[in-house]
Amino acid sequence: MKITDACVYPYPAGDSTINRLAFEAREYGYDSIVALDTPAAEIYGVTVLAGMYLAGSTLKEVHERARKASVSGVVVSVQAGDNGFNRTVAGTKSVSLLRGIHKADRHAFDHVTAKIAADNMTAIDLDLSVLVAGRGPLRQKAIRRYRDIVILQHRFEFPITISSSARSVLGLRPVREVAGLCSVIGMDLSDTELALAGISRIMRQADAAVKVIP
Amino acid sequence: MSVLPPTLREKRRYILARVEPSGLPLDAKDLYYTLYEAVTSLWGDVVTAAMRPAVISSENGFVILRCRRGTEREFAIALSTVNGCNDCTIAIRVFAISGTIESLRERVKTMDISIASRLPPTDRELFFDGKSVELASRNGQKFDVIEKGFKNAHRLFLTREDLEDS
Repeated sequence: MKITDACVYPYPAGDSTINRLAFEAREYGYDSIVALDTPAAEIYGVTVLAGMYLAGSTLKEVHERARKASVSGVVVSVQAGDNGFNRTVAGTKSVSLLRGIHKADRHAFDHVTAKIAADNMTAIDLDLSVLVAGRGPLRQKAIRRYRDIVILQHRFEFPITISSSARSVLGLRPVREVAGLCSVIGMDLSDTELALAGISRIMRQADAAVKVIP
Repeated sequence: MSVLPPTLREKRRYILARVEPSGLPLDAKDLYYTLYEAVTSLWGDVVTAAMRPAVISSENGFVILRCRRGTEREFAIALSTVNGCNDCTIAIRVFAISGTIESLRERVKTMDISIASRLPPTDRELFFDGKSVELASRNGQKFDVIEKGFKNAHRLFLTREDLEDS
């Protein structure tokens, strides 16, 4: 199981190069990172996975772009929308992650979406940057949403991933601090470990030649 | 109120942390207000009052912080939500927690040696992404640079490999 940060923004989107992010990620205890709009590589012993984030896209665009990207092994993440959108995206095979759930409507992610996500191994991403940088109602809303997702995850066992959404090395958080922040949203240490290994879990599932149906 | 004997005093824990990026001139008072805001916004007034966070010292990029024993975990979580001070983006990395300031000061001394071993600034002109950059700090492979110019004064975080030869 690889400990992975599910989303970082290297230079030019951020102020840190992918080399520096990989270097710091290794110091902080990560085995791999998903870097948006960056080719896959192995840097300082850290596996850099290529990522793509589709925000504000229609379902048609999501299907088209995700299908093309998933062929080349890119980790495709899609910004969460309303309930219907999320259900469809969670059921799309080429989509790996559903992100930005804290910004979505209260009913945007329910037990039906959770079941679909579990069946299709689509992970729900918990963006820690909102817990770090957010204050007041924004953070309170995010904590509420994340707590609801953790409760649903315990019931349906869909994959969860954790991302720092770091645009700088200063935005990266060591694994120990991530565990502390996750305790705020009701995740214990084993939940956090499972979530940090979420990317390797879904990547392994995607690579599997045979799917075991219980 | 008379001074309590040591056995009756409340127990405290001291936290050694590093402020990143290195080389920022941070005032201990500003840092205290930043920490206080982070703790209060995350845990609320009641927990903050029980925690009694304080900044003991701030020098050479290291800070020694104090809280009540038993609240150090919550304090460390709140520290990880600190992301800015005086309009500068910062991060606070916790290194060690101890029951005495003395043991943390000993640790700082050993870390000071590692700081001294940082490579001296180079006179060579540095380039990144086709632009001339100024070295802000350097630690082994890590190069923090500032883009030269009037408009762009923000830091870029690079490694040795990212820099181009002049």
